Amino acid sequence: MPIIDTDVHESFSSLQDLVPYLPDPYKGWIAQGAWRGIPQPFCYTSPGNGNRADVVTEDGAPVASDYDLMRRQVLDEYDLTYAVLTGYFYPTMLKLQYGLGTALAAAYNDYCAEHWLAKDERFIGSIQIFARDPQAAAREIDRMSDHPQMRQVMLPVVDDIAYGDPAYRPIFEAADRNEIMISFHHTTHAQGPYGMGLHYMERRALLPISLMPQVISLIVNGVFDNFPNLRFMVLEGGFSWLPHVMWRLDRDYRMGRVEVPWIKKLPSTHCRERLKLSTQPTEDISAENWIKLIELMGTDEILVFSTDYPHFDFDSPNAAIPRGLPDDLREKIFWKNAAAFYDIDVPLAAASIAAE
Amino acid sequence: MARHTVCRLKDLPVGKIVPANAGRARIVLSRTETGEVKAFAGRCPHQGAHLEFGCISDLTQAERPNEVSVDKSCSVLRCPWHGFEFSLATGQAVVADDRGHFLKLRRYNVEIDGDDVVVVT
Repeated sequence: MPIIDTDVHESFSSLQDLVPYLPDPYKGWIAQGAWRGIPQPFCYTSPGNGNRADVVTEDGAPVASDYDLMRRQVLDEYDLTYAVLTGYFYPTMLKLQYGLGTALAAAYNDYCAEHWLAKDERFIGSIQIFARDPQAAAREIDRMSDHPQMRQVMLPVVDDIAYGDPAYRPIFEAADRNEIMISFHHTTHAQGPYGMGLHYMERRALLPISLMPQVISLIVNGVFDNFPNLRFMVLEGGFSWLPHVMWRLDRDYRMGRVEVPWIKKLPSTHCRERLKLSTQPTEDISAENWIKLIELMGTDEILVFSTDYPHFDFDSPNAAIPRGLPDDLREKIFWKNAAAFYDIDVPLAAASIAAE
Repeated sequence: MARHTVCRLKDLPVGKIVPANAGRARIVLSRTETGEVKAFAGRCPHQGAHLEFGCISDLTQAERPNEVSVDKSCSVLRCPWHGFEFSLATGQAVVADDRGHFLKLRRYNVEIDGDDVVVVT
């Protein structure tokens, strides 16, 4: 069966990898070590310190910065048809020095194109932006959208941005005019309603609650209505919450349409038509409960498969999606729904094997 | 079919909800800008709120976020509990549920006989 892995994290080995792609004065700042990078405000507790502990190179290079290792461990190991690179360096986490943030996003895109996308035609790229300067972000989207492997804009979820705010509209306008899609992924700054909690386990359990509000924000503030050709993907944020959010928004719309009459469809309809949620991290629920949840969503065209390689809560294509699910549903989860989202062709060879 | 004189026309100010009894049925009446009198069953079909405590509003509309205007040619009756909107012209809810079903207020025919408002049940 073809597999489109919608969440694979590539990385540089250090910030110094970006220096060749940075303009002055930022090139000098980063080259001389003036910034230590984005802090991680907690300790991971898994054996591999946040990554799978078997993601190590012979020369000890930092994990996820080695294409050959990634190819062996995930692309070839599971015969992925496509792998969507989603990054792990999100300049939007910077809250000041907007010029630096914009330059870092552009440098990262150029680095990624040369050191990752060029190495494997199975890669699909994500345009990284500095979202706090939406006009500059739009220019970066315009600049990178011509790259044939770039198929989406990555909107990092931090602790102070709801992307439905009209201030971020230039980002969606740029994605719309370039006909590329929108994905969301949390960052190490993402928070739940009371912060990160007091433990890593608590913080990880709160992550879906950092992503649900983005769906609410986009729909209530009219992004779905204003950009009918855009599609939206929420990565690594769970999926069992979606029926609740759809029901809640539908009821709230029936009660409160008077305030937000720019919404022209029931929120649940918007979700069913144009929202995707990635499956990882799956929650070890039974096949019967998968089917119940999908029935509650009202469509089997929302879920898309992801591994989250190289992170420790990796989902194996061989085990994460129950084999007890109907074959046509597994096909949709593993590749058909993502292929529709990215508007990509699945190689004939892979598709014909799937049809047998 | 029964005819009930429920109030005088002068007791129905435009844009207000006026409760009345039509036989044993509690109903609500409202007079539109064009002078037409509408009569509906007094309970909301959603969860049974007494509509006499609701309000009449012009329908809000917008094509862009935060650019809201009102359509004075289209009035709605809003439920006093959840704020559901019902077209004053038809009694039909403005928003359907997720099965595409529109709630609908039970509507009564109204006749004006001199200054009497007569509701047919």
